[in-house]
Amino acid sequence: MIAVEGLRKRYGRRLALDQVDFAVPRGEIFGFLGPNGAGKTTTIRILATLTPADAGTATIGGMRIDREPFAVRRLIGYMPDFFGVYDRLTVIEYLEFYASCYDVPARRRRLVASELLELVDLSGRAGDQVDTLSRGMKQRLCLARALIHNPEVLLLDEPASGLDPRARMEMQELIRELRRMGKTILVSSHIVPEVEELCTWIGVIDGGRIVEIGPKADVLRRAAVGRRLRIELAEADEATAARARELVAGWPGVAAVDDTEAGLEATVDVGLPGHRLLRELVQAGFDVAAFTPVDLDLSDVFLRLTEQPEEGVG
Amino acid sequence: MSVAGELPEMATPVPGLVRALRRLVVNPLIVKDGLSRMRSWRAPVVIAVYLVMLGLFAWLAFSVELGSGSLRFYGAARVGGTVFTALAVVQLALVCLFTPGVAAGAISGERERQTLDVLLVSCVPSFSIVWGKLVASVAFIVLLIVSALPVFAAVFLLGGIDGSQFAVAQLVTVTTALATGAVSLFLSALFRRTLAATVVAYGITFAATAGTWLVGTILTAAASAVPRAGPPPTNPLLFFNPIHAILTALLGGSGVPGLTRVAPVYYLAGQLPASITIEPWELTVAAQLVVVALCVAGTVWLLRERRALTSRRTASI
Repeated sequence: MIAVEGLRKRYGRRLALDQVDFAVPRGEIFGFLGPNGAGKTTTIRILATLTPADAGTATIGGMRIDREPFAVRRLIGYMPDFFGVYDRLTVIEYLEFYASCYDVPARRRRLVASELLELVDLSGRAGDQVDTLSRGMKQRLCLARALIHNPEVLLLDEPASGLDPRARMEMQELIRELRRMGKTILVSSHIVPEVEELCTWIGVIDGGRIVEIGPKADVLRRAAVGRRLRIELAEADEATAARARELVAGWPGVAAVDDTEAGLEATVDVGLPGHRLLRELVQAGFDVAAFTPVDLDLSDVFLRLTEQPEEGVG
Repeated sequence: MSVAGELPEMATPVPGLVRALRRLVVNPLIVKDGLSRMRSWRAPVVIAVYLVMLGLFAWLAFSVELGSGSLRFYGAARVGGTVFTALAVVQLALVCLFTPGVAAGAISGERERQTLDVLLVSCVPSFSIVWGKLVASVAFIVLLIVSALPVFAAVFLLGGIDGSQFAVAQLVTVTTALATGAVSLFLSALFRRTLAATVVAYGITFAATAGTWLVGTILTAAASAVPRAGPPPTNPLLFFNPIHAILTALLGGSGVPGLTRVAPVYYLAGQLPASITIEPWELTVAAQLVVVALCVAGTVWLLRERRALTSRRTASI
């Protein structure tokens, strides 16, 4: 549904995007993950037809955004990382204004606005002025605004930034509901747990380059060059723990051993047979209370992928 | 959270030309800006201040005229003509005072409110955005002009001014508002900040109206002192000046020494062709409409190219 090839953008001497390639299949929630300044907003602005790319192509629904911007605008709903609103309009007037901007017939605007307010749970505030809404409500109102013309694709730039946990959960639930309606959604964020909970596809961008992309499970699997084992010893004194650390560290396939409050955590090769290490520990007389693999989460992947120093890229 | 099962369907696409023509009149920005403006406390305050200032000036002008004995010596028509002319010039000055304040924040305000991007991503073309903003800004000024019509009508009853002069004075005032609004709108797109746009808009408005009128009148008076054949030479600075246009329309060639109705043609052609009688107000209105067209085109270009004068801050990455 969204395809980007060789996208490049420079602001003066600052290279914001460098050969960015990715594709988002129809009906997926694509988490665009990256640290601040990685190039997420620039990419989204290019997709939203707001900023021209210096090189490369981007298509949405098969249409090139540089050649058919007006057609693309009918396909996309854009929610920027800030939510400017017209304070002197009421909530329903605000949506009706944007409905008229998208050529929704006058007789249907009130109906469209009302249905969207129901969707974002703001029906009760329809007659209130926008400046009386909380931040979370304004954010949901902006999402309703992005949906006013029933777009197939949603470009959401940091949709949950600045929201309290409850408002964030409501926003996530709303985005999932939109996916169930068949929307293709690109969500940018630098908050890893948010993306991990919400998205089905993930793209990690750092320094203007895509460093990892694919279905969430694949990204996690590919990033997992090893796995971690948590080993807890029952009533082990320092000397016992040191001996255990020495034994584990010397075992073939173990890359590193870290001390934790409960015991040890070992980074091991994917193919390492854990049961043999456990048997060795038990045979050596250690009282092993727990021996469990530690799941690698997206935060680990994100940190691993973005830990390299930037090389002249903003 | 309640969830609607289906989102409403998109409107049936309307042909581009029809949509563009319709948006000249039925423009969402005109409605939105009009609604927002009239809901603020500023709108009634500005209208009240405008009418009070105009009313006070009318009363002052009457008092001066009556005190000078004009009514006794020259009759009511003379008093009416003089007061009407003074009032028309003051109205023009007030329009020049209020228009930049209303229009210079039209685009930069959207930018500061961070609503411009969302507007640009919508299906409203850049021209419609600019047109809507211009009409919305000037509509408020026209409202001021219309609200002052009873004051002018009261003075009009005294005579001394005919219907066409009345109409010309109002027309020049409206086109001046339109031109000032268009220039302010262009500056609003050019500058990121409303404050900068407003300051520059006031500077340009003052220079183009009071500035050119003062300098042009002084230079014309100086040139009139030199004896020569033909009509007194009017300085070109006055050709497109709205104050000069209103004065010549209301007072005629004899009203202000050295300023004639056909002076621009004489100046440009070297001699006065008998068949051409272009009035200064016609030149002024034509020039102002050209300024409006150029400013609208420039503003559309700035919006399309996403350019602004202080755009070194290159958006958040």
